Amino acid sequence: MKSKIYIGLLLIAFIFHASVFQVQAKEFDYKSKKFEAAASQFMCTCGCGQDHFECDPKTCNLTVGFKEDIVEMMNKGWDKDKIREYYVNIYGEEILTAPEKSGFSLVAWVMPFAALGIAGVAIFFIIRKWVKKKGMDELTPDSEDQTDEVEEEILSSMIDEQRKKYL
Amino acid sequence: MYLFANATIYVGLALAIYSLLIITLGISTKNQKLVNSGKGGVISILVCASMAMLSLFYLLTTSQFQYEYVSDYTSSELPIIYKLTALWAGNSGSLLLWTFFLVLYTVMIAFSRKMKGNPMVPYISAILLGNIVFFFLVLGFVAKPFVLLDQVPIEGHGLNPMLQNPGMIIHPVTLYLGYVGLAIPFAFAMAALILKNVDDFWIKMTRRWTIIAWLFLSLGNIFGGQWAYTELGWGGYWAWDPVENASFMPWLTATAFLHSVMIQERKNMLKIWNIGLIITSYALTLFGTFLVRSGVLTSVHAFANSNLGLYFLIFMGIAVIGALYVLMSRYNLLKRSAGEFNSYISKESSFLINNLLLVGAAFGVFWGTVFPLVSEAVRGTKVTVGMPFFNTVQAPILLSMMFVMAVCPLLAWQKSSLKNLKKNFLIPAILAIVAMALMIVLGIQKAWAVIGFGVIVLLFITHFLEFYRGVKARRKMTKEKVYLSIYRLMTKNRRRYGGYIVHIGIAFIAMGIIGSQNYDVQTMKTVNLGDSIEVKDYRINYERLDQKREGINDIVYAEMTVFRNGKRIGNIQPEKVFYGNWDQPSSEVGLISSLKEDLYVVLSDWEDDGKATFIVKINPMMTWLWIGSFMIVIGSLFAVWNGKYQNITPRYTGVRKEVS
Repeated sequence: MKSKIYIGLLLIAFIFHASVFQVQAKEFDYKSKKFEAAASQFMCTCGCGQDHFECDPKTCNLTVGFKEDIVEMMNKGWDKDKIREYYVNIYGEEILTAPEKSGFSLVAWVMPFAALGIAGVAIFFIIRKWVKKKGMDELTPDSEDQTDEVEEEILSSMIDEQRKKYL
Repeated sequence: MYLFANATIYVGLALAIYSLLIITLGISTKNQKLVNSGKGGVISILVCASMAMLSLFYLLTTSQFQYEYVSDYTSSELPIIYKLTALWAGNSGSLLLWTFFLVLYTVMIAFSRKMKGNPMVPYISAILLGNIVFFFLVLGFVAKPFVLLDQVPIEGHGLNPMLQNPGMIIHPVTLYLGYVGLAIPFAFAMAALILKNVDDFWIKMTRRWTIIAWLFLSLGNIFGGQWAYTELGWGGYWAWDPVENASFMPWLTATAFLHSVMIQERKNMLKIWNIGLIITSYALTLFGTFLVRSGVLTSVHAFANSNLGLYFLIFMGIAVIGALYVLMSRYNLLKRSAGEFNSYISKESSFLINNLLLVGAAFGVFWGTVFPLVSEAVRGTKVTVGMPFFNTVQAPILLSMMFVMAVCPLLAWQKSSLKNLKKNFLIPAILAIVAMALMIVLGIQKAWAVIGFGVIVLLFITHFLEFYRGVKARRKMTKEKVYLSIYRLMTKNRRRYGGYIVHIGIAFIAMGIIGSQNYDVQTMKTVNLGDSIEVKDYRINYERLDQKREGINDIVYAEMTVFRNGKRIGNIQPEKVFYGNWDQPSSEVGLISSLKEDLYVVLSDWEDDGKATFIVKINPMMTWLWIGSFMIVIGSLFAVWNGKYQNITPRYTGVRKEVS
């Protein structure tokens, strides 16, 4: 009798679990932040130029299956990094929307900042070369005042205006 | 018609070659008659280019499908406006439009009242004519706009529905005006170098041209973004697609140029750098065309079946090598700089940092765009470099640029003293920090958003102070009323205050970008007829699903009523359009905009019983992005507007020649 009850409970639990799972799959929000984090890592290859998060399932059959696979992995408890690893192992780095931050692809990420840093240092030395008195404190008090500068400009524009009026 | 239309291209080519040769001969023999003949030739080329444009317009509007171009890009049912705009839907038509603009600009320069009698004119004309010859060669032998088909089709293929949008009418035109416009400062710079005129005359003369080209480039990008937002249904406005990048790069370098020329004007410095920026900007416009028309990179914007890229690559190579040769040959003259910096902290230094960041951003975009090719060449793997890369790399660079933009107006020329720094920055800095703290208290807690908005607040305060001090100083001298004082202050220095309006516009755009990127909310819901979707403060009632026919297109639409906090705010009608002559359907989004946020609804899917799936997005602060774009236009126009006292032609002090 006991075993029958257990089997009955197990069956109920299974049916309940399956129905919950079905509802989950059916009502899954393909625009949720969690799904975005996982799906936006992968490029759709249908030619739309979008990632699998943005690609419209109405016009692209490829993304329908891909999205379902991702949901399945998420339901298994995989995080975005594990999903990423899974697809990279199968399709290679080409499937990603951005290069990996390792190996040769790291050059893609580092190069803009390295160039900016080198150019920044070069500009510092150029400014240093141009500054008249080397080694002087750059924040030395100066008699020149901003308001005076503005006033000077306004005054000269007014003089110019009058000059053009009468000459 | 066939003979006439083709004749406009080949006669145009012949006249362009003639004008180029005769002007070059006139320059070398110092014969004004020959130069005049060449300048007359430019007018004739404009007539040819105009006739070619009119011919294609005529063929498109009268649906003459025996022509390949008409058949490829139009159909009988296409509305007349889109039949006309189909002129720039394809390769050859868009190149014809490009050629027309280039010839138009050349005529404006060759017969400019301000440049009358100036010895630079023949050189500038010759350089622009070199460009014109290239474009006519392409139109005559590679991308021919007037090719007849062997068999006349009953119907044309129609225009890509994505291009049937008001944004797409203006977007390519403005972008081409910007691209072509950058050829003008390039031609002036080259002419100045050839004539050994290393003063800033060419910069002053081309200032307006550069701002106009920059404005059109900005407009091109804005209209492109607006089109993507409303037409593509993905809720975004910028995808860092290689072709978008191609128009953003020259925009960045041209922006750098517009700032660094001020140092050359004031201090007679950075001459080589400025010419380098102009060469780079011009080369990047050609590089962009190479990207669009070569197919080397995957892009949704690319023209199909095109091998034109190679020709543009060769032309770009010749132009850049030629320009660098001229630059190097004048290196000794250019490096004789008269000016020097008085301090590490000054307006001059901030302009250099601004240039570093702008050119750094352009390099970052360039590097990301070409990296798939680099990766393929080095290790045989063509990786994708998409939005996550560009957002990560560009965000800190562009945010730093915003900071420099905020700080720069209050720095003094020559030298900023400690007293000056304290006086100008203490209050703005405190207010910006208070604003950032307030944001955190109010729930804005993402680091990038808080820093970004903080910098924007700083920018608003420093720019307000700049206006305030100017008005105060003016009123001290004139005792004018406030409004009159603001008006006169701004109109007396249009470039400066126009620039500030542009800065404020950029800040608004940044607000829109930060808000929409960090705090967007979206969901996808399947609902039955009569049900509601609830997102944030919104309740969207799904009331009706129906179908209608417009011409040869079938439209499925949903009618929805929108409530915010229980109050009805309007109706929306998201649609899916199925085209009679195009496989891919497109989405027309349902949109309700406010200063706070956009409600953006896409009809994604439906079933026979009326059950439908909707994508609902809430994009915060999007309206500010468009307001900022509008302010960029206003600021640029204000800066180039010919005021009563602005119409001054800079004095030419360069080398005298016998021809002009």
